Amino acid sequence: MRMKRHLIHIVSTLLLAQLIFGMAIPIQHSSFAYAKQEGTSYDPLLKSSKAGHLRVKVIDGRTLEPLVGAEVVIVENGKRYRTGKDGMTPWIEAPVLRNARYRKLVNELHGQLTLISYKNGYRDSIHSGVRMNEGATTRTTIWQYKIEETGSTRIEPVFYMEPYHRLWLLQLADRFRQKSQLGEGYQHP
Amino acid sequence: MGLYRTTTRFLTLCSLFAALTAGVAIMPAHHASAQVFNLNNTGFPSYIRVAIRENNPWGEPDPRGAIIYVRTVNFDQYCRNVLPNEWFPTWRPSALEAGAIAVKMFAWYHHLHPVTIGGFTFDVDNTINFQLYRAQSEQSSTDTAYYQSRKLAFVNPNLEITELPYRAGYPNSPNWQYRNAQKMSQWGSEYLAELGRTPIEILNFYYSGKLLTTIPKVGGL
Repeated sequence: MRMKRHLIHIVSTLLLAQLIFGMAIPIQHSSFAYAKQEGTSYDPLLKSSKAGHLRVKVIDGRTLEPLVGAEVVIVENGKRYRTGKDGMTPWIEAPVLRNARYRKLVNELHGQLTLISYKNGYRDSIHSGVRMNEGATTRTTIWQYKIEETGSTRIEPVFYMEPYHRLWLLQLADRFRQKSQLGEGYQHP
Repeated sequence: MGLYRTTTRFLTLCSLFAALTAGVAIMPAHHASAQVFNLNNTGFPSYIRVAIRENNPWGEPDPRGAIIYVRTVNFDQYCRNVLPNEWFPTWRPSALEAGAIAVKMFAWYHHLHPVTIGGFTFDVDNTINFQLYRAQSEQSSTDTAYYQSRKLAFVNPNLEITELPYRAGYPNSPNWQYRNAQKMSQWGSEYLAELGRTPIEILNFYYSGKLLTTIPKVGGL
């Protein structure tokens, strides 16, 4: 009982101190707090107001021929688009979403989207890591594989993850490199 | 005695000729690469042989992986599928055009100097051992840069086709150390483009003593 009262006392004192002295008590910052701190309006948890232009092409993974009538879904906003005769969706205004985990370390050079393509008779294809930039155009291709009459007893989606751009990976590795860990190094450009 | 000497001389000459001829015939192929390839004796490539290396366990081509097969790729298509993976597609047009010329010259040089590894003869592979190639990865901005500069070559003063090496470098700097090493810094190219430099100025900054010229019988945009 006494301990509980003691605890309540400590908490109320801390809260009072925070009210009076503002930032005196260390509290965990939300990403919004980070965004405000840095003087930007960016918050990866809020709906992105920034968008790029995306066009998706869906092809048969074996013949490389365009697939007409495939349905492409943008996972991040749930919007769906159909491919035309050329296997391409119309130009899409798609969000640019950067991974919040890396923002305080090295901000990503590009946002990333996940797409799923559906077409009857074909395995579903999940295409992750599609690179998006504000106001820029991105083209990407999704491979779908036909469900064969024989040998297709277990039908599961095909997953492909587009890697980060190598220039960003280099930045990320440099961010944590010690001086003794030369990497490419100044002497060997 | 005279007939014997004449016959001996004749046979000696014959064997010398045979040895010389055979020598030429079995000369290793790599000796041919000592030839100087320049714009006057070399046509613009229509294709390039790309060695496809096996993927690492997380699904990306492994620079140390075994070569699985060699794919013949249209040369323009190859350059278009390298540029967005090497340079960043949202960078300024000058940086992308300088990059497009470097990517093209690098590929052209290696097309003229193929290698044989593990029984496969190829010009480049699909990893950072040469240039990072991903099929179907072309982007509008990098395509524009490639075709804007397609007819241009950056060569030695004797028009010799030469490799233009490059490395990432560091952002927000011209990367002088790369200039000293005669390699273009990719981040440096974007930095210089931001300062308003043209593609030729960027190339001249990193590669000294070279010449920008047009490639005979090659068009662009």
